[in-house]
Amino acid sequence: MFAKLVFSQLDKLMVIRLIFFLLSMVAGYADISDDKSWHKRVPEKINDLIAIQDRLRNLLPDAQKALVSIEASDGAGSGIIVSEEGLVLTAAHVIGSTGKKMFVRLPDGKRLPAISLGGSEISDAGMLKITKKGKWPFVKMADSGTSKIGDWCFGLGHPGGFDKERGIVVRIGRVIANKDETMQTDSRLLGGDSGGPLFDFDGNLIAIHSRVSQLPDQNFHVPIDCFHANWEFFKNKPVITYEKMQGGGFFGVACEEIEKGLIVREVIPETAAYKAGVQSDDLLLEINNERINSREEFIILVSSLKPGDEVKILLDRNGSELSVKASLGTRPKSEK
Amino acid sequence: MKKIFSLLSSIILFWVCADADSNNTSDILSKEYRLNGIYTQNAFGLAKEKALHSTVRLTRNDKLIAMGTIVSPDGLILTKASSCVGAREATLSSGDRFNLRIKKRNEDLDLALYQMISDRKDFQPITWKDDNASIGVSWVLSAFTELNEIRVGITSGKQRKIGREGGVMGVMLGSEGPSGILITEVVPQAAADKAGVRAGDFVQKIDGRSVKKREQVVNIVGKKDPGDVVVIKVLRKEVDKEFKITLGHRSVTFDMFNRNMQMSGPVSKRKDNFPLILQHDLPLPKEAMGGPIFNLEGECVGINIARVDRVTVFTLPAEIIKQKVDSFISNQ
Repeated sequence: MFAKLVFSQLDKLMVIRLIFFLLSMVAGYADISDDKSWHKRVPEKINDLIAIQDRLRNLLPDAQKALVSIEASDGAGSGIIVSEEGLVLTAAHVIGSTGKKMFVRLPDGKRLPAISLGGSEISDAGMLKITKKGKWPFVKMADSGTSKIGDWCFGLGHPGGFDKERGIVVRIGRVIANKDETMQTDSRLLGGDSGGPLFDFDGNLIAIHSRVSQLPDQNFHVPIDCFHANWEFFKNKPVITYEKMQGGGFFGVACEEIEKGLIVREVIPETAAYKAGVQSDDLLLEINNERINSREEFIILVSSLKPGDEVKILLDRNGSELSVKASLGTRPKSEK
Repeated sequence: MKKIFSLLSSIILFWVCADADSNNTSDILSKEYRLNGIYTQNAFGLAKEKALHSTVRLTRNDKLIAMGTIVSPDGLILTKASSCVGAREATLSSGDRFNLRIKKRNEDLDLALYQMISDRKDFQPITWKDDNASIGVSWVLSAFTELNEIRVGITSGKQRKIGREGGVMGVMLGSEGPSGILITEVVPQAAADKAGVRAGDFVQKIDGRSVKKREQVVNIVGKKDPGDVVVIKVLRKEVDKEFKITLGHRSVTFDMFNRNMQMSGPVSKRKDNFPLILQHDLPLPKEAMGGPIFNLEGECVGINIARVDRVTVFTLPAEIIKQKVDSFISNQ
């Protein structure tokens, strides 16, 4: 009797737990596919489109405040302020090289002096800094790994340079692809948009406009992840160019960013990687005890060393860690 | 109980996994989910239907040259005047075809009014957007060229006037000297090139007036419109030569040098000198100009009047067109 009572009480407890569990699952599920129109796989009706439009209108004022037009001696582009002291993210091809004096223009037309910092030709990420002291309007950056394929996004820019009569141009679209150093969207671009910001529908900066091809859906952007992975390097070191990388070390793998990390797709015969026994499907974890966050970071780290330098690479092979040593080779001339 | 519990939880977990999976399987967003994919288009519902039924294709020798906007139940069509020269036939989304008769042209707005020749009184005209309040960043849509799909996008940039562009020859001028002003470069395929002018020629006279300074050339030519003809006298290897140049548009001519334009594809010839425009980014070819553009309510907010580049279309707002149409129709 006693035993049964205990059991039935336990039973009741279990039922209550189950109900709570189910409720929490329902709530959790609702969270994943909530009712926000821009989280749906597709807008289904006019109301979804209106919700997307209203959201965009609400996010625009703060995003636009931090947009700048960049005026260099040899061309114009766009950029976005990401810190109160006036750090500006843009495209590497807009700044060209490190230490160049240029001007940025705020949306009201005010012209401020700036100096180019670093960046990389691999991803086309670039940075500059407003040199006038002040408290500048800035936007929040998304964390690495935030952007997913299908996310709604909007872009800002000054195509063709600053134009007071026209004002800022806004374009809407969705993330089509996002791999390694490139995000592709159907939020369309034109020259002069280069370096301008792309935002998600939380109002966070997710990418920087880089380049286009002839098709309307082929607009390419530098994911914010590239900046996060190389933040101090871009801020403090000269722009990485293909030309400069020519003299640096060469490891000899083709790799790709996947969810698990940086995976080796191909090992080039007779290179450092080949001699060290690196294999396809190995994950690259660390180089000289430094964590590898992105493909671009890996390329930069390797090419900032010299041919003949020893490197220690930590790999993950079939789930177990493995450390290999390699002596870097010379970058082949055709390599880009 | 425990069994049911674990069974239930595993089902739920499976669900969640399946859902996460279906969101993440592909590395690329397939076409139908994109901004101009068919699923997105379908969300525009009645506005989409309105766009398809109130837009016509205008053809010359079966080739699409412009789109048109049905403005009355008896088949009056408004379109872009400079695009539809020689338009012979109009085709509806139903496939019905009608011959056309021109009724009016207005050069200021680059609009033309045509009549579809028919006894029908059941054409589906657009409904003009009523108020002329600025619409801010808003969804807009237009029928695509085959009248079976739409293109969608947003308006952006301020409503504004677009100034007049003078005509240009498409040459770069160099040093001024006793034999004239040196032409250092000729834009390939532009007006001067087509007329036969070459780099190395010295400009001596334009329209019979002697010129000594670069500004004189720029002033004379710039006062004329694209399409006007100038007579230019040059000295080439000690020999006098005369050419008739039909002037081009500044933006079109010098954009040939511009990388943006190579990426843009064909743009409208006339894209300047409008009293007021709205700007948007629908991916439409230049042959789709003259057609109507709608808001989410299915009201016509204007007529697409110029494809400027790969991301820019100018629209004449409804408020500008409405008065013109009323006077067009009452003066018939």
